[in-house]
Amino acid sequence: MAVARILDLHLHLMDRQVEDRDHRLVCKVDDLELEFDGLGRPYVIAILVGPRAVGPRLGGRLGRWFAAIAARLATPAELLVPRIDFAEVTDIGSAITIARRADELRVAPLEAWVDRHIIDRIPGSTHEGE
Amino acid sequence: MKRLLAVALGILTAIGGFVDIGDLVTNGLVGSRFGLSLAWATIVGVVGICLFAEMSGRVAAVTGRGTFDLVRERLGPRFGLANLIASFLVTVLTFTAEVGGIALSIELATSVNYLLWVPIAGLAVWLIIWRVKFSMLENVFGLLGLALVVFSIAVWKLNPSWTDLIHQIALPHKPDKEGLLSYFYYAIALFGAAMTPYEVFFFSSGGVEEHWSKQDISTSRINVFIGFPLGGLLSLSIAAGAALVLLPRNIQVDSLAGVGLPVAVAAGKLGLAVAILGFVAATFGAALETGLSCGYTISQYFGWQWGKYVRPRQAARFHLVVLLSVIIAVGGVLTTVNPITVTEYSVVFSAVALPLTYFPILVICNDPDYMQDKVNGRMSNLLGTIFLILVLIAAAAAIPLMLLTKAGQ
Repeated sequence: MAVARILDLHLHLMDRQVEDRDHRLVCKVDDLELEFDGLGRPYVIAILVGPRAVGPRLGGRLGRWFAAIAARLATPAELLVPRIDFAEVTDIGSAITIARRADELRVAPLEAWVDRHIIDRIPGSTHEGE
Repeated sequence: MKRLLAVALGILTAIGGFVDIGDLVTNGLVGSRFGLSLAWATIVGVVGICLFAEMSGRVAAVTGRGTFDLVRERLGPRFGLANLIASFLVTVLTFTAEVGGIALSIELATSVNYLLWVPIAGLAVWLIIWRVKFSMLENVFGLLGLALVVFSIAVWKLNPSWTDLIHQIALPHKPDKEGLLSYFYYAIALFGAAMTPYEVFFFSSGGVEEHWSKQDISTSRINVFIGFPLGGLLSLSIAAGAALVLLPRNIQVDSLAGVGLPVAVAAGKLGLAVAILGFVAATFGAALETGLSCGYTISQYFGWQWGKYVRPRQAARFHLVVLLSVIIAVGGVLTTVNPITVTEYSVVFSAVALPLTYFPILVICNDPDYMQDKVNGRMSNLLGTIFLILVLIAAAAAIPLMLLTKAGQ
């Protein structure tokens, strides 16, 4: 982080892969949340994740379906769109690295569901990767 | 010494892994109808896949990102999604053709109807993707695929007039009984068979699976620039065999047995047995590659964890997509649709889908923000641009030609 550089939100942040501190793939930057300070300057405060974030950007009927299905499946505890606080970001390269581990973030409810109900039940699901 | 062995292994697997059901069927069929007058299309396709694979391999080595990861980033979520849907459908279609190809190959060896082999083939493909190490599945089937060298031996044993063969390749002359539109339709089919999009998804994602870094770029280049052209030579041998044995007798290839016929004539039963082993290995290897590619494309678009380098539980959605793709492919073949027909369509639709991945890769290779000092040189860009134009022409012409020629009949 020694060299300052200019980042273009669209070019360098939007739709970029997010990795955790162990280089596990977490999600895409599906959308960003901005906030304005007293002088009207925008700040990026969070990475928004999942179909509810990307759906409106897709537009059209498919985009609405994406968002609607995800909203319908969300439990009451997941009322807000899954997000990663931008303060967690440690590096912006060909991927965006965050300081925590993927499973602590809880931004991928579908992954957890598929794992618990399908993949975990198939024998051999925990064998080592390479 | 160890490094030399690794390089040799890489080249051998690239040769053996080059041919899939699309190459087998299209080259056999074209050879039996057009002789070697369309060899140029295969040669152009091989140059194209070398360029394309080298670029995507370099992207994977420098950035650690798979193809569809970058497709979405460069094209945006909307166009990226349209691209994903088209590419995924073509890959599933190719996967279906490969699973059918495995079953047909085993039918050749056992005389047991191919439909009975389809569920077994599907289960075996899934089990291997689920359980076997990435490097293992890549190497074993690539090496066994080398059995297809028997086609080159068959051509040699047929003792053809070599000057005549080279003449046919260098100065293409369309057979008079075939129409010009069919001629170009099959040119596109051969082009699509050589440059199938899944090869690029698999090649780049495989680079990430094997943790390539900048140091691996030269090895990957050697594999591509030596292995793929030699693999293309196998494709040409299949066409040459058909041109020598089947064309003069007016036998048109409409089955996998027809593809193997020139080997049976030239090298007898043993030769045919080796050819069938080659068919099984080539289709099985390609089924694994296309099956994985189904998972790679969708996972990379959505940013999910993918790959065999983590435990299946850590890439649950990826493995679910692979599992569902296997079910779709097996179900597709079990509808009793002719797998050879599926193959013919899959190579043409591959040609249609090519610009969708070719263009973004060319763009990314020129982006120093990703590629640092490994951006495309002038030569790569010149050739890359020429091929972009070729790919666009082939894609635009494919469907009109398909309709006009009733798929080449």
